Amino acid sequence: MKKKLPFYLIATVVVVLMLIALNHLWTNWDAARELSNALAEKDAAGAPMDDGGTLEYREFPVIGSRVLVWMIAELHLMFAAFVLAVPMFAVIIEFIGYYTGDKRYDDLAYEFTKLLSTSFSFTATLGAMLTFALIILYPRLMGYLVNIFSWTFLPYVLLFFAEAGFLYSYYYGWGKFSPKVHLALGIGLNIVGTGIMFIANAWLTFMNSPAGVTETGALISTWDAINNFTWMPINIHRLIANVAFGGSIAAAYGAFKFLGAKTDEERAHYDWMGYIGNFIAIIAFLPLPFAGYWLGKEIYAYSQTLGIVMMGGTFSWLFIIQAVLIGNLFLGANYYLWVSMERIEGAERYRKAIKWLLASITICFIVWATPHSLVASIEEARKMGGAHHPILGVLGVMSAKNTAVNVLILTTYLSFLLYRRGNKEATHPRASLLKNIQFGIFSVVTIFVIVLGVAGYFVDATTRIGFSVPQVLSVLFAMISIAAIDVFLFRNAKSKGEIKWGQIKARAQYALFFLAITFTWLMGLMGYVRAGLRQHYHVYGIMEDTSAHAFTPTLGFAAGVVSVTVLIFFALIAIVFWLSSLSTKKKWEPKDASDDVYGLAEEARS
Amino acid sequence: MKNALTIFIFTILTTLFYWYVGQQVPQKVTYPPKKLELRDDLTTDEMIEIGAEIVNGKGTCQSCHGLPGGRFPSLDNVGAIAASRIEGMSEVEYLAESLYDPNKFIVDGYLPGMPQAHKAPISLNDKEILCVIAYLQNQGGSPTVSMQTSHSFTGTAPEDAGGGQVAAAPASNLDGPAIVETYLCLTCHKVDGPGDMVGPSLYDVGNRMDKAALYESLLDPDATLTEGYAGGVMKATLDGVGFYDKVSSKEMKTLVDYLASMKGGN
Repeated sequence: MKKKLPFYLIATVVVVLMLIALNHLWTNWDAARELSNALAEKDAAGAPMDDGGTLEYREFPVIGSRVLVWMIAELHLMFAAFVLAVPMFAVIIEFIGYYTGDKRYDDLAYEFTKLLSTSFSFTATLGAMLTFALIILYPRLMGYLVNIFSWTFLPYVLLFFAEAGFLYSYYYGWGKFSPKVHLALGIGLNIVGTGIMFIANAWLTFMNSPAGVTETGALISTWDAINNFTWMPINIHRLIANVAFGGSIAAAYGAFKFLGAKTDEERAHYDWMGYIGNFIAIIAFLPLPFAGYWLGKEIYAYSQTLGIVMMGGTFSWLFIIQAVLIGNLFLGANYYLWVSMERIEGAERYRKAIKWLLASITICFIVWATPHSLVASIEEARKMGGAHHPILGVLGVMSAKNTAVNVLILTTYLSFLLYRRGNKEATHPRASLLKNIQFGIFSVVTIFVIVLGVAGYFVDATTRIGFSVPQVLSVLFAMISIAAIDVFLFRNAKSKGEIKWGQIKARAQYALFFLAITFTWLMGLMGYVRAGLRQHYHVYGIMEDTSAHAFTPTLGFAAGVVSVTVLIFFALIAIVFWLSSLSTKKKWEPKDASDDVYGLAEEARS
Repeated sequence: MKNALTIFIFTILTTLFYWYVGQQVPQKVTYPPKKLELRDDLTTDEMIEIGAEIVNGKGTCQSCHGLPGGRFPSLDNVGAIAASRIEGMSEVEYLAESLYDPNKFIVDGYLPGMPQAHKAPISLNDKEILCVIAYLQNQGGSPTVSMQTSHSFTGTAPEDAGGGQVAAAPASNLDGPAIVETYLCLTCHKVDGPGDMVGPSLYDVGNRMDKAALYESLLDPDATLTEGYAGGVMKATLDGVGFYDKVSSKEMKTLVDYLASMKGGN
């Protein structure tokens, strides 16, 4: 009874918190709905019809058409990201198994792939729901987009068919083909999946940065409409982000199975699976901020106004929420590595470094989450001498934030390096020299990043923005060169002990869940800002949103919609996990003769 | 089963945490600009007032021009220097060019990038741009445009470009003293006599500042600071009470007229 009390206490607290949140969400929702209704009434005279007498909008009851489309689109995107990401790393893991001859990798790749078939069905269903919702609720917008992109629909559908063919032959053909043929199927699956994503990205990026059309929106070139300013940056950003997201969900699956494992063997397997999933997620996550910079730069290049709405206007505070999420991702990823080191014999010698790594992450997190200007009461602002805090204001600018994120990346990389060499002792004849070179690269790059960050305060804006490039390149250089040296350094290394897979604390598994939830929430938030940037435009600068939902809601409201979407996603992913687990369940056996309609018991006896 | 329930609770708690973070940042609804018909017989003061509203609202000008040292040149004093920016080009022509074709002439030390004001997404029409020119001339100079002024770009903007939209601003019937009280000016300024509080007394502000300076001191309080007073306080205060979100053009005019009439009892 004593043991159960905290659990029920937590459950009660959760229920109370949920009720408070729902009440708050409903109040927000009510306010937004009231506003929509008021605007709809006001525009009732002519807004629903365009000049040609075509219906422009239809309204969805209770939650409104915008929130409905928003949630379905997010859910579709989350599942699509997962379905596109898993084959990428499944093929790589399968190849590692084929190359090294280690069957464990092949089994792991198969286990990841098992998650795909249900997810693929969910993705397709949500995609169909999204299409129907858009056609029914936003007929004018869809009419326009169909006119612009009509040529892209046929290849999209054909690729979708090809995706189904590759996916199911890859899954059901596991062990049925030669490894080379099977790997080729996996590569084909990835190619068509990427093609599908690129086409869909053209539609949505056109809405943000239209090209290939006249000022009034008439089509000049479909290819230019596809190859608009933000198309390729979004393609690359999504490709990397999908892998990070997919890895985190696969790691959560490992954690889910670990916690329910009955034997040491199962625990060891799922511990390893969680580790590999998380490794994939973090490796993909590290370069993601750089892809984000590129996307941001292209948004500014397309339209200064759009860029300023994003970073200095309506959405600037959204990036504080993003900073909290990304800070938590770094913290969670490092925490998992530190706890994981407890199962490596010999890794205890690195334990003393954890406090310094934690200090570095905490400082960088604080800097990154510091807003540029503070919202304060009149009295507070008066005492402070303005909206910018005299000390903290210095940390709120881009120079400080860029430096912080680069140091965060370096710190996480260092955690991984320590984890990797936990049970290894270098036997290379020049081990000492190589270690010194690694230390030298790491130190010089860290100092270089910090010096550029400080110098950013003393130069003009253009030079300051330019500093972010050498900062990023130097960090990439450090990661690649140190990794390359590590390969030589630990070749034929002496083992200081073994990795005891499965002997890991349950809290490490919760760190994996935490990372998966945070990745998903972050994805929902960034999806919102990408679409919300257009504000009262469906197609920026070309087609205005004249519906009752043309206003941009509060960030609190957006956070509510994202949260509900994330919870629905995890409810659906729980179904995926459960269905994937069925294949390893024992076969059903009749309890008595009346159940034994197929004569299975008799058959077994004979 | 217990594991599944614990994972479920953990998922709810983590999501709730992020939802909570989302509630802690400033909450603001951004509305699409509203349409407004501009009369052909607007007075100069009315043009300045509407111009100020566009510059601070629909035009999104202050996002880049708002502060000295910002992305684009500050608009402080632009009315005084516009005539001498390009040799042989009149003040009105220069300001019109900078709005219709902003990247043709770039001020030294800055990069091109300003969008054309008469095209989407800003979409000002010719009449609105005339009002913006009046406002800009009033920044350190004297407005010379009227609604009938024509320049090289007249007719370039489509009549219905954006439909003559300006930021929404509710009308009110408050008088000067009521506005001063509503926006908590009295927390920092005295009005009933000389003597300084956190800010200088408004008792005789009409002797020290003309209407243009009063507009400027309200729209951009840190542009010209009275000696001995800290920058940022008034802006933070007005932000804090939602002055810039709530004040209508009518209230702004009433407030400036009222302050201009404060001549120390004379």
